[in-house]
Amino acid sequence: MIRKHLSAIIITIITATLGVIASIDFARMHHPEELYPSSNLTGRVMLSDYFDGIKGTNGDTEVFLFDSGIEGGTALLCGGAHPNEAASFLSTVVILENLRVTCGRVIIIPRLNNSAFTCSDPMEGFPAFYELPTRNGTRKFRLGSRVTNPLHQWPDPLVFAQYPSNQQLSGFETRNINRAYPGKADGNLTQRVAYAIIQLIDKENVSIAFDIHESSPEVPIVNVIVYHEKYEEIAMGAVLGLEMAGLQFSPETSPKNFHGLSHREWGDYTNAIPFLMETSNPSMGRLRGETNVELVLKGYCDNYSKAKESGALRIAYREETGEPIEHRVGRHIMGIIELINSYNLYYPDKQIKIENLPDYDLIMEKGVGEFLNN
Amino acid sequence: MKKIVTTSAITLVLLFAGSSLLAQKFEQPVLISSAGQSADVKLVKMLAQRQGLDATTILMAKPADLKGFKSLVIVPGFSSKGLGAAGVSQQEEYERVESLIKAANDLKIPIILMHIGGNARRKGQSDSFNQIVADNSKYMLVVRQGDEDGFFSAISKSKNIPLTLVDKIAETAEPLGNLFK
Repeated sequence: MIRKHLSAIIITIITATLGVIASIDFARMHHPEELYPSSNLTGRVMLSDYFDGIKGTNGDTEVFLFDSGIEGGTALLCGGAHPNEAASFLSTVVILENLRVTCGRVIIIPRLNNSAFTCSDPMEGFPAFYELPTRNGTRKFRLGSRVTNPLHQWPDPLVFAQYPSNQQLSGFETRNINRAYPGKADGNLTQRVAYAIIQLIDKENVSIAFDIHESSPEVPIVNVIVYHEKYEEIAMGAVLGLEMAGLQFSPETSPKNFHGLSHREWGDYTNAIPFLMETSNPSMGRLRGETNVELVLKGYCDNYSKAKESGALRIAYREETGEPIEHRVGRHIMGIIELINSYNLYYPDKQIKIENLPDYDLIMEKGVGEFLNN
Repeated sequence: MKKIVTTSAITLVLLFAGSSLLAQKFEQPVLISSAGQSADVKLVKMLAQRQGLDATTILMAKPADLKGFKSLVIVPGFSSKGLGAAGVSQQEEYERVESLIKAANDLKIPIILMHIGGNARRKGQSDSFNQIVADNSKYMLVVRQGDEDGFFSAISKSKNIPLTLVDKIAETAEPLGNLFK
């Protein structure tokens, strides 16, 4: 009897074993990696403390507070709106683990769309994790999805009607937090997280807010600072300051009629001055070759060299060096520093002073891992 | 000795005359506008303010807006976000720029091209704007990265339009100011 079904039993056992291994690997995506804030951290709360409509959900996320104790403005730094954009999350982690605030306050949310860290985008071949060498070993981080995990918000409508503008987008965008602002208290999970962010900005009286992103080298909106039209002088001052530091950023105005994005709705619905920054990440592009950890971290891809050589498109890609993670994180951190410097010129009575952050050259020289604690 | 002095004097006069021809001057007030609605025009506005120029910035300037101005600075460069903010299509923007340039030429208002966006405002959808402005300009002030392939240099050479190349955006301020002094 046993002999008769031996092959079926063996196949069942192998399948079950592979299933268990895959399940364990998949379940690991739901465990957030430990972060090690600098000793200057003064508070640690959850986003649900600002709106309990996300309490107990996968959308709830950690909020880190740095209060200098000296009256000034408040900066909000958000990474991980799209967790497939590694430099977005890592930039906020580097800041979190090194920051010292000497005037005003800084609030950091490294995993803005926490649910999207628990899955990856189907059919894209993205690695689930990547590792960085640090002073004391290695740190492992998740590479997530552009949008909320479908296990946490399902199904997608065929057409997404953005709230409250009613602007129509593809159904997939219903899980994109950067199309969900100002959010909706009784909406889907993504809308509720967006609503919670708006509540945080209001309750903490945030003065200046950053939403950090990456994009494909071939899209037009890359290596940019996107600003709300009310605050263009701050953006222009920062662009010039960054240029003096050898970093070219293009200023881009937030379109008034493209709704749901942080640079539009944070500026329209709150008193915060919003900025969104993008770096060039070849692992996200449609022209990329093999998609692996090396591409995510080194950002080097021959296809983009060829595309740039062809001259058919404007490609934001450096043929000699690629777009490594150090370059992308360095640009974001310098962008934040210069925008805060520029903000301070226009708001001398609500200053924000930050210290102890590595600059672009230092990150390029020593690597991102050098500035991570563990 | 007399011969040397005479030769030196003639040389100096010729050099002075030559430099005067090269150092082209434009008159104020200045209208600053965009071609392609990139936010680079806002940076030029800031640089012009810092140089104390009598300048007005109208992003979507039309032929009627030229009234009273003696020079026109156009900042070319395509931006999808900028066009979205302005609520116009690329074609509508191109037609506006075309009509503005034609009107400026009819009114004999000299056009100065300022391209400060480097690679980000080259090729793709930017070059049609770069081309039409460059072809009709009397002077070009360009951040060098935007001319890596010699795009502006070639137009400068073929149409005999003076071109100043600088390394950084901030370095355009002084030559811009000097054009009006």
